[in-house]
Amino acid sequence: MARHLYNKIEQQQAPAFFVRGPSPFARLAFFSVLSLALMASDSRLQYLASMRQSLQTLLHPLQLLANAPSQLYLSTTEYFSTHDTLLSENQQLKKRDLMQSIALQKLNLLAVENAHMRVLLAAQAALKESSVAAEIMHVGRDPFTRKVLINRGQNHKILPGMAVVDAAGVIGQVTRVYPLSSEVTLITDTSLAMPVQIERNGLRAIAFGHGRDSTVDLPYLPANVDIKRGDRLVTSGIDGVYPAGLAVATVRQIVSAADTPFARIVCEPAGGVENHRQVLVVSRPQLGSINTPSLTQPVKLGLTQATPADKKQSMPNKLAKPSDAHAR
Amino acid sequence: MPVNKLKTLYFSVLLAFVSLLLPWSQVALLVRPDFMLLVLIFWLIRAPNLCNVGTAWMLGLLVDLTAGMVFGQYALAYTVTAFFAVTYQRRLVLFTGMQQLLYVFSLLLISQVMLLIIKTFAGAQFIGWLYFLPSLSGVLLWLLAMGLGLNTGGRGRAK
Repeated sequence: MARHLYNKIEQQQAPAFFVRGPSPFARLAFFSVLSLALMASDSRLQYLASMRQSLQTLLHPLQLLANAPSQLYLSTTEYFSTHDTLLSENQQLKKRDLMQSIALQKLNLLAVENAHMRVLLAAQAALKESSVAAEIMHVGRDPFTRKVLINRGQNHKILPGMAVVDAAGVIGQVTRVYPLSSEVTLITDTSLAMPVQIERNGLRAIAFGHGRDSTVDLPYLPANVDIKRGDRLVTSGIDGVYPAGLAVATVRQIVSAADTPFARIVCEPAGGVENHRQVLVVSRPQLGSINTPSLTQPVKLGLTQATPADKKQSMPNKLAKPSDAHAR
Repeated sequence: MPVNKLKTLYFSVLLAFVSLLLPWSQVALLVRPDFMLLVLIFWLIRAPNLCNVGTAWMLGLLVDLTAGMVFGQYALAYTVTAFFAVTYQRRLVLFTGMQQLLYVFSLLLISQVMLLIIKTFAGAQFIGWLYFLPSLSGVLLWLLAMGLGLNTGGRGRAK
């Protein structure tokens, strides 16, 4: 029946050689306009975000399939890694564990001391953040931007704006969240700005990604600014996005040209922006209790005073000190 | 026969898509040819009755999605490329192997230049001449496919 119908329609059509539909130019015009409209609506109006999310979820199995060979290779090499390497790695880890646990003991003491001090100063309790471990699935495919995709998303309570760090420092920020994965813009991308502080003297600045090579710039600082080669940049926490005190970059080069009032400061990212697989997604700092076992009465008193509504006020308080110290 | 060919087309597009999804990084990412566009050009040359400018647009949208870019950028670049491919498709019968290679190379370049123009309008910086490496690797891949016996049309080949 269907074949009969098909034959009937087929007979009425012109021979296939002449059937070409609209001219290529008409098609070009139509689809170009459609693309332009899509570009405008996607970049300005944000209507397509939910569509992108659902399509990305549909593609997720295919993505896993494409990742399977490299995963298999990694797990195989891991399985066949020799006894010696495992032993030496184990020893190194033990050594590091020992050193870090010693540091941690001091940290506990300092945290308690800090809490007491804050109560004495009638300041707000420190902000606390939670974190989710994630793994980088693949590097972004757009050559003009620096992004990576990680394997944690909406279902793992990732939100846009969360900071992403590795063992050595900040590597970027979550910019797009899909149900099962999310997109992280690296600190070397031109579109990412990050409030930082020089660790040595508390000077605050904003770091921008350079984009072309994997470095970070500190623009808009005067030529006579007090920055030396080898200075470490840490997050200032002033934005409420990044927890304060995470390593961001190290100053590598300072060029002060005569024709511009600003110094050109090139920094090298501290985190392994392009060579780590395991990362930590850190949530926005929130007011919460410091989980030290030896919390005492005064600290609790400080916490009850601090309500979420005071959260905004807590930032200027927190940052008042470094700027005072730096006033000339 | 057409049904069979259509299946081959879908399969090749799927294969190209999965190769795009492979976890490329660093140098490999820089050199990676645009598999999707190569497959598209092949089918535009070989079977213009099966795919046309609209197909190019759809595939471009798919690539946009995987690249995490604003929708429509690859779509526009592929549309323009497909237009040139379709316009000169009938003349291709007279091309020799070398001429066809040059033709494919210029098509790949057109797509990259289009993308560069769109990106520059959106405020991106030019990332250096290495940006055009995928066109070169794409042509090499085409040459390899021809060497392995893939019938890409053109004089002395299509029989």
